[in-house]
Amino acid sequence: MLYYAWTEALRTLRNRRYTIFVVLFPVALYLINAGIYGDQPGAAGVRQSVYLMVQMAGYGALGASMMSSAVPWAQERRSGWLSHLRITPLPGWAIVVTKLAIAMLLVLPSLVLVFAVAVLQQGVSMPLGRWAALAAVMWLGAIPFVALGLAIGSLLSPEAAQPAAVLLVFALSLLGGLWFPVEVMGGTFQAIAELTPSYHYAGLGWSVVASGGLALGDVLTVTGWGIALGGAAAYLYRRATVRA
Amino acid sequence: MNAIVFDHVSKRFGDVLAVDELSLTIAAGATVALLGPNGAGKSTSIGMLLALSRPTRGTIAVHGRTPERAVLAGEVGAMLQQGELIPELSVRELVELVRRLYPAPLGLAEVLELAGLTELARRRAGGLSGGQAQRVRFALALAGAPRLLLLDEPTAAMDVESRRRFWDSMRAYAAGGRTVLFASHYLAEAEEHADRVIVIAGGRVVADGTAAQIKAGAGGQVVRFALGEQPAAGLDRLPGVTAVEVGAGIATLRTRDTDATLAALYRDTALDVRDLELSGLDEAFLALTGRS
Ligand SMILES: Nc1ncnc2c1ncn2[C@@H]1O[C@H](COP(=O)(O)OP(=O)(O)OP(=O)(O)O)[C@@H](O)[C@H]1O
Ligand SMILES: [Mg+2]
Repeated sequence: MLYYAWTEALRTLRNRRYTIFVVLFPVALYLINAGIYGDQPGAAGVRQSVYLMVQMAGYGALGASMMSSAVPWAQERRSGWLSHLRITPLPGWAIVVTKLAIAMLLVLPSLVLVFAVAVLQQGVSMPLGRWAALAAVMWLGAIPFVALGLAIGSLLSPEAAQPAAVLLVFALSLLGGLWFPVEVMGGTFQAIAELTPSYHYAGLGWSVVASGGLALGDVLTVTGWGIALGGAAAYLYRRATVRA
Repeated sequence: MNAIVFDHVSKRFGDVLAVDELSLTIAAGATVALLGPNGAGKSTSIGMLLALSRPTRGTIAVHGRTPERAVLAGEVGAMLQQGELIPELSVRELVELVRRLYPAPLGLAEVLELAGLTELARRRAGGLSGGQAQRVRFALALAGAPRLLLLDEPTAAMDVESRRRFWDSMRAYAAGGRTVLFASHYLAEAEEHADRVIVIAGGRVVADGTAAQIKAGAGGQVVRFALGEQPAAGLDRLPGVTAVEVGAGIATLRTRDTDATLAALYRDTALDVRDLELSGLDEAFLALTGRS
C-alpha cells in the first residue's frame, strides 16, 4: 500500500499540468507582483511581500489540492484503472485514503516553494514559530479543497471534471482574495466571498503572519466546509464505486 | 475443491438479461475456455466473479467463499477486456504496484519474463502499442500469483508472435496447479489451449465438454478435398462420416471424428487425395450459438 501511495505521488509529479499550473505558476506570479509592489504596505497590516506570499501560497495549495484529486480520479473511474485496482486485494477505503493523503502531500511543494522564494528573493523574515504555524494552517486548511476535488472526481466525467476543477480553482481564488484583495471588488462580492472556504483559508494565513493568532470565524468556517465537503466526498465516492 | 461455482446466477441490466440462470462448476487446476459470440455474457460473468458487479439472482463461490472475500484474499487475478493503464507510470512501476498488493506474489523479473516485457520495463505506459499494453495487462493479472486467473479475450490486439508467447506463458502458469478461465470468440483457440470448453450464448450454457465433444455435438467437422474424376462410392462408409456431398469435382465429408475419417481415407481407399482442407470449427460454433 505504501508503494501504491508512492506511485500515486509519482504520476502526479510527472504530470505537466500539475507542475506548471500548480507549482510554477504561483511562484512566477509571486515574483512578478512582489517585484512591483513588494515594499508597499499590504492589506493585512503587513508588508505587501508577506501578504502576497500568503496569497500565492494559498492559490498554489488550492490548485494543487484540487488538481491532484479531481481529474485523475475522474479519469481512473472512466478508463477502467479503478477496476484494475478493485480486483486486487487493495480494499476500497485504502484507495480513497491514499488519494487524500497524496493530494495533501502534493500541497506541500506549492507552499514551500512560495515561502522559499519569499525568503530568498524578498527577504521576508518571521520568527520560526510563526513560519511553522503558517505552514501548518495553510497545509491543514487545504483539506476542504482536497475533499471538493474528490467529490468532483466522483461526480463528473473526466471531460467535465477538468473544466469544473479549473473553474472552481479560479472562482475560489478570486472570491478568496487570493489574486487581489476582495475589498477592491465592492460589497456584494465581499458578502459572497465571506461565505467561501477559500476566503477564510487565506484569512487563516493572514492572521498568522499579522499577529501570530487565528480568527475563530476563519477556523470555524474552514472546519465547517471541511466537514461538509468531506461528507459529500465520502457519499459521492461510495455512490461512484458501489457494486451494482 | 471447486475453484468456481455458479448457482443459478442471473444478471439483468435494465431490459437486457445478460446472464440467464447460469449454473456451472469449475474444478481447481483446470484450464477452461468460456466461448461465446458478442454479447453472450462472458464479460458480465467474469465481472461478477471479480465482485465488480453483483448477480441480480443466484450465488457465486470462488474457492468456497464469496467473490469479494476471494479478491481481498488475493486469490484472483484478471485481465479485463477494458481497462487503461496509468500513462505516467512505467511498465515496471505498474507491475510492481500490483504485485505488492498481493500477499505472496511472483518475483518482478519472473512476471516481466512471463509477459514478455523485460525489454519494455522502463517504458511509460502511455507510449505503449495496443498489443504491448495487452501484455502489461497480462503481467498485472498474474503478478500476484493468484490461484485463479481470469482472462477476458486475452489475445485481442496481439500479433502472431505475441499470441504464441502468451499461450506458452499461460500454460506455464497453469501448470503449477492453478485454475485458468479465459473468454474467447474462437473455438480453435479454445480447442488448442483449454481442457474444457463452455459455450454460452444469450447468457445460458449451450454446450459444455472437451473441444472434440463440442464439435461432435454440433454436427462435426468438415473434411474437403479435390476428387476430380475419381468415384465417390464408399466415402459415406468411412468411420465417423455422417454426410457426403460431391460437386464440381470436390468431395465434402461431414464427420464426427476427423482423425478416424482421415486415417481410413488414406489407408482404406485408393483415392488420390489432393488439396485437403479441414474446417468446421466456425460452423460448429455458429450452429451452437445461433440455436438460442
Ligand atoms: N453495464 C451494462 N449496462 C447495460 N447492459 C450491459 C452492461 N454490461 C453488459 N451489458 C449487456 O449485457 C450483455 C452481455 O454483455 P457482455 O459484455 O457480458 O458480453 P460478452 O460475452 O463479453 O461479449 P463480447 O464478446 O462482445 O465481449 C450484452 O447484451 C450487453 O449489451
Ligand atoms: Mg466481453
